[in-house]
Amino acid sequence: MSAITLSGLTKIYPTGVRAIDSLDLEVRDHEFVVLVGPSGCGKTTALRMVAGLEAVTNGTIRFGDRVVNDVSPRQRDVAMVFQSYALYPHLSVAENIGFALINKKVPRAERERRVRSAAELLGLSDLLNRKPDRLSGGQRQRVAMGRAIVREPSAFLMDEPLSSLDAKLRVQMRSEVLRVHHEIGAATLYVTHDQVEAMTMGDRVAVLHAGVLQQYGTPRELYQRPANLFVAGFIGSPEMNLYEASISDGDLVLGSQRIAGIVRPALTAYSGRKVIAGVRPEDLVLGADGNGTAPAALTARVRVVEMLGSEQHVFFSIDAPAAGARMLAAATGEIESGLLASEAHNGTARVGPRTPVRAGDRITLSVEPQQWHFFDPDTGLTIR
Amino acid sequence: MSAQTLAPTARPAQRGRETRRERRHRERLEEQAATIPVELYGLRRGTVTVLTTVSVLFAIFTLIPIVWIIINATKTEANIFESFGFWFASPFDFSHTFANLFRDIDGQGVYFRWFLNTVIYSLVAGVGATVLAALGGYGFARFEFRGSKLFFAFIIAGLLVPITLVAVPLYLVYAKVHLINSIWGMILPSMVSPVGLYLMRTYVTLSIPRELLDSARVDGASEVRIFFRVALPLMVPGLMTVLLLSVAGTWNNYILPLIIFSANNLYPATVGMGLWLQHAGNSGDNDLYPLLVTGGLVTVIPMIALFAVLQRYWRGGLLLGSVAN
Repeated sequence: MSAITLSGLTKIYPTGVRAIDSLDLEVRDHEFVVLVGPSGCGKTTALRMVAGLEAVTNGTIRFGDRVVNDVSPRQRDVAMVFQSYALYPHLSVAENIGFALINKKVPRAERERRVRSAAELLGLSDLLNRKPDRLSGGQRQRVAMGRAIVREPSAFLMDEPLSSLDAKLRVQMRSEVLRVHHEIGAATLYVTHDQVEAMTMGDRVAVLHAGVLQQYGTPRELYQRPANLFVAGFIGSPEMNLYEASISDGDLVLGSQRIAGIVRPALTAYSGRKVIAGVRPEDLVLGADGNGTAPAALTARVRVVEMLGSEQHVFFSIDAPAAGARMLAAATGEIESGLLASEAHNGTARVGPRTPVRAGDRITLSVEPQQWHFFDPDTGLTIR
Repeated sequence: MSAQTLAPTARPAQRGRETRRERRHRERLEEQAATIPVELYGLRRGTVTVLTTVSVLFAIFTLIPIVWIIINATKTEANIFESFGFWFASPFDFSHTFANLFRDIDGQGVYFRWFLNTVIYSLVAGVGATVLAALGGYGFARFEFRGSKLFFAFIIAGLLVPITLVAVPLYLVYAKVHLINSIWGMILPSMVSPVGLYLMRTYVTLSIPRELLDSARVDGASEVRIFFRVALPLMVPGLMTVLLLSVAGTWNNYILPLIIFSANNLYPATVGMGLWLQHAGNSGDNDLYPLLVTGGLVTVIPMIALFAVLQRYWRGGLLLGSVAN
């Protein structure tokens, strides 16, 4: 059975802004679903509607089979962790965690037992008498979690709970949140703008953009079979290389280069037309100039090499126009001038740490034919 | 020095529940640590000296009347007029004059009665104004309802109307509803404090994050419980300001009681002493001047004390640790 079902959920603000546009989403019992998207895409609005903090313009929210559109937040039996933690500053850790139980008139002994066990689960047992101002960032985050889990709610809502932590702590808390989720097992809807967080934490991930659901699937599906250009560009870091290209006589034409051997039934309809061709940085295999005998090899010039220790990012340029920034800008309506202006390089390859490569080198990059992604330049949809 | 200053904040993990004294100490150190030393302001030495001098002169200017009244409260009627105003003169007459404050000297009334009236009016009106400002300010700051902007505009408009302007209509209305010569005639209008409400609205807007209230809602708290358990504790510094302002406002009010009271046992100290002053001027009865001076001193002392007591509530940092930035 599904714990949370959103159907046709729409939010239009009095100003006419359409924050969420007929969102369909289903969170099953025990499932950890991540709602991800760039800032301003409406993901927090969606979450607040599920919590009952925001009125629904259209559509329904169901918990189990009960429609809760008009149920007040206090009667929805969901727990929410806020981006800012929103701890009660004048109450101790124990009182913060126990606050909801007092509201529910849970008897004192039972309340203390539950507060203690929640504190134990989160490693807060020694801090129960502290006020929030005497806690570190990570401890505050745990208290916010504790306040949610102590209630044993039917569903958890989390609004960017890790975004205020520093990078290292964030990685630690990711697995911590998942550990707690697995112990408790309640359905969780988790909002973030961080695609790495989405990929690493979600059983399923919903990508939201401009209030519209782009794709809903497992992290693997999203990464390997993005539904459209937006998802392709949004998921993955470094992001997918995207070029304006065309199909001619069964070959892929990228600027002055022709790549043969890409045979796909769906592409025949695009023969002689423009497409957007995309390839992930790790699917580019680097070979020295002259050895480029593979049929699907591109020649490129290395501009910058970033050594990350475990791998290298090779920023190169080929003479095909990059579609990424421009298409994404058209798709998202936001133009990041830095991306458009980056004439110096228009692609990234991810290679091993010991591959000898330096700025200025001429290289060949070969790609397994099935690793190419193709998108319709007008609709942005994946060509399948 | 700096290591000692930073120590309490640097190792929060080793602290359990601290005593009130420890907390005060820590807060003082934290305040010191947060204060930028004057030499880092980027002002020139000369500028600092000039500004300091101006401030000191202004402080002296403000304190002179207080000093005068303290000194002259110890003098006899003759000495008030004849001796140097800023030094003591024998005989020391304070206790005699002070005792007279409890007697009806000239048939106009007893100072102490008026003083008690002032205390009652001010406390009841001050507390009432604070309660109303807390409720109204919170409501206007955190709820949107039909007409909320219009209502608030009306309240702000109330700030601009001086009571002297409405004296006559107020009297006529009071006469109709039997509030002339009633203590409620004094207390009820003093409980309405547009400034207080405006202050509280601003205070709530700036110091109580919406997320905190939303969090309490999701945690299943009723709106009443959210107000009392979450919002009110965070509003205390603001409420103390409103309390002080409205107590002081009622304490010093002269026009309103002058209009509505004709029975002199209902007068507050301001009106009573005004009556004395008038009487002394008309009759040439100089005996009343020591009483006026000492009565004036007795009247300001509670205000100074109240300010000193409430001052400790004006500290920032109530929200520390609640919400991440």
